[in-house]
Amino acid sequence: MNCEACHLKELEVELFEIREVLRCILHTIVFHRALGLVRPKEVDLELFDITYVQCGEVELEKKIDEKIDQFVCWVEKHPNKKSQICLSFYEVKNKQASWFSNKIERLYWEQWYIYLNVAQHPKGHSNKSHHAKVVDPGEGALEDRNARSAALEASLREVLFQIIKFVNEKKDHVPPIPNLEGAVSFPYEITIPSSSDSAFGMDMIKRMLQTGHPTMLS
Amino acid sequence: MASSHSEAAKMEQIITEFFAKSIHIILESRALSVSSRSSCLDQAISSPCSSSSSSPSVRPRDKWFNLALRDCPAAIDNIDLLRRNNLDFIVIDVILVQKPLGWDPMSLSPKRVLPRSSSLKERYPFSWNTDQEELGLDTNTEKIVERWVVQYESRKTRDSSSGTRRSSNVSLHALYKKSTLLLRSLYATVRLLPAYKIFRELNSSAQIRPFTLAHRVSSFCEPFTRKEEAEMMKFGFTPVDASSGRLCLSVMYRPSASDVSSEPSTPLSPQVITDYVGSPLPDPLRRYPSGLPSHGSPSSLPFLRRHSWSHDHWRASPPSITYSPSPTYSESHTSISNASSRRLPPSSLPPHPTEMSLFQKKNSGFDECYPSPSPSIYYPGSLPSKPLLRSESAPVSIPNAEAAVSPGYPNTNRHNLPSTAPLRGLRCVSKNDRGVNTMQTGATAEKLFPLGKDEPRKYSGIKISACSSPQSSNRSYQDDFDETDFSCPFDVDDDDLTDPGSRAESFDHGHMAEAFEAGGFLPIRKSQDAAVGALVRMLKKAPPLRQDFSTSEHLSHSTCPETWNANNIQALEAPVPASMMSSGLTATRKTTTDALEEFHGYREMKNLLLTRGSKPQI
Repeated sequence: MNCEACHLKELEVELFEIREVLRCILHTIVFHRALGLVRPKEVDLELFDITYVQCGEVELEKKIDEKIDQFVCWVEKHPNKKSQICLSFYEVKNKQASWFSNKIERLYWEQWYIYLNVAQHPKGHSNKSHHAKVVDPGEGALEDRNARSAALEASLREVLFQIIKFVNEKKDHVPPIPNLEGAVSFPYEITIPSSSDSAFGMDMIKRMLQTGHPTMLS
Repeated sequence: MASSHSEAAKMEQIITEFFAKSIHIILESRALSVSSRSSCLDQAISSPCSSSSSSPSVRPRDKWFNLALRDCPAAIDNIDLLRRNNLDFIVIDVILVQKPLGWDPMSLSPKRVLPRSSSLKERYPFSWNTDQEELGLDTNTEKIVERWVVQYESRKTRDSSSGTRRSSNVSLHALYKKSTLLLRSLYATVRLLPAYKIFRELNSSAQIRPFTLAHRVSSFCEPFTRKEEAEMMKFGFTPVDASSGRLCLSVMYRPSASDVSSEPSTPLSPQVITDYVGSPLPDPLRRYPSGLPSHGSPSSLPFLRRHSWSHDHWRASPPSITYSPSPTYSESHTSISNASSRRLPPSSLPPHPTEMSLFQKKNSGFDECYPSPSPSIYYPGSLPSKPLLRSESAPVSIPNAEAAVSPGYPNTNRHNLPSTAPLRGLRCVSKNDRGVNTMQTGATAEKLFPLGKDEPRKYSGIKISACSSPQSSNRSYQDDFDETDFSCPFDVDDDDLTDPGSRAESFDHGHMAEAFEAGGFLPIRKSQDAAVGALVRMLKKAPPLRQDFSTSEHLSHSTCPETWNANNIQALEAPVPASMMSSGLTATRKTTTDALEEFHGYREMKNLLLTRGSKPQI
């Protein structure tokens, strides 16, 4: 089975924007891949003038929020780093025990890479709490901030269109829709860089071994 | 053979349902909800934000493509018609209707009870839901902000398909899966386009807006002109192959559509004031390049004010509105922002490129920014006593507007309002005029659209053969839809084509009501008007703009009318209203002190200029 990968445009975000941005992107992707019966739920971003769609599954929402929390923790511990998040969809297949010992095989058929460049502003900007509003007396800074926020909004919009285009162009590799209850039709996982620095890389290697089709991981 | 036949029938059904779902998705987020219709249809649109999960029961309709949508009466009506006519080509135009200057909801209300004449149906044999015509066709300007095209492109040449596509035997599952995916992306896309912002704004607030959204679902469309097309962006969804053709979906949209709906609440940095007050200084001579003295009477106050206002607009005044999101303010634009006519005057004064770019950056509230309610003020070329002379003023502005469009401003620019708006306005006017004419000659208009009459017949002919077979399904295809068209397909043909009027009328009322009530215009009309009136009075009674500075300006006051010349006026007039605007309207805001500072600084500079300028005259 083909494993298609979509590398989304890198976004330059500030810490307090990570949650909204990630929620928006992850939910938009999952909405296009949750092919069970969906009652779409529109969500307006607070920081940006963008409406995205969730599939209205509480469990899914929880899982995504958890992952985002973990990611934010990681970013706070590792400032000034580019980071990526990978959302993968797979199918589960039983296979006979092999040298790799697990009996259940995950066949990844799609991976989405979200790249974030978390900007850390040295002077006066909050980089500890995402709730803290930056109060900068300088007007120039305020304007910079507005401009930056507008730029991020435009980029985020671009990323959403990138997702939509990818979904449109690549349809063949999507497995047949299983007859399941609930919206989420395919198992998925969200991979974030974990506490040890090399974990993300390890994860990827592990997954490649599991999948046995590393070629598509560009 | 039988199985392949039923496969074909299922495929047909998927295609029909795809059309239905597409229409539903689009109209659900474009057609304004109607409270008056809730009595006859169990619709639950209260606000677009409400999650549809409020109705947990799964209806058969929801199962299609696994996408449960809110009830949308407008869509359901259209889908009914679609099913009856089995169209393979549907255009959904989303139209931004801008209300004219003096529109009065009460004066329009009688139209709500007028039965739609059959002439409309004759005129558009296969278009329905032409909402905008119920809004007072003769006075509103309309512009298409989105055109959705849903199409089943049948493969006419069999041989070519076998060579290039391997999809000649597309499985039902693949078709269903891919259409599901396509509809998901449609659902997401619809919410990312600018028109959605307008829809949300109209739907969420009870405030009177000077614009509304209408839609027209039709089986044919008038192609855009090249110019219109250049203004629009296109997004084409990747077609989905079916056995004998493919499902295509595309949208053309105006990237600048949401400009009309700029919210007064947008936060802006105080920095804006600096630009706005200070900007006239660097080059005060560049405006009003020609022809000023020939208009109007030089000494009249309105004349002076006209220039000050319109000039100040044209510069960068829009931000000033953002400091006054008070009801008074927001109501003001309901009465004054007549789209096309309002925009004409600026275009007749070709802006300097730097002004253009400045404006493009800050035109967030263009419509709202004409603070004076008297339209005559803005027309350099029109009679002061006639409020709405679009037909007179529009042609005048064309060349300028075109000139403004061409040099180096990409059409995709979201904020190209100043240059393009007059053109759109003009187009809308002419369209409206034509609309009126055809309405009047409705009986003969049928001949103008022979295509519309033939087309559906042809299409329905194609489909009927397939639909006559028994419907069965391994998925949920066999839902208890309104499938009368399938069970008795031969009824579809002539009846629907020749006598669609009664049906159309039955729901047209609803749309009429929809158009009026969705925005909540009627209930709060009185207070709005009163507020507008108050504003008008305030503006009328406002002292001459330079009065505040009379001590420092007495020299120029006396010299100005005699030595009438554009430059002089600019130097004197331009900045003053700007500062008045900012100080007057933002008195209660935090930024007032900033503005005052700016203002004082500016006054000093101005005085300097004045003394310098007045020396030779003395």
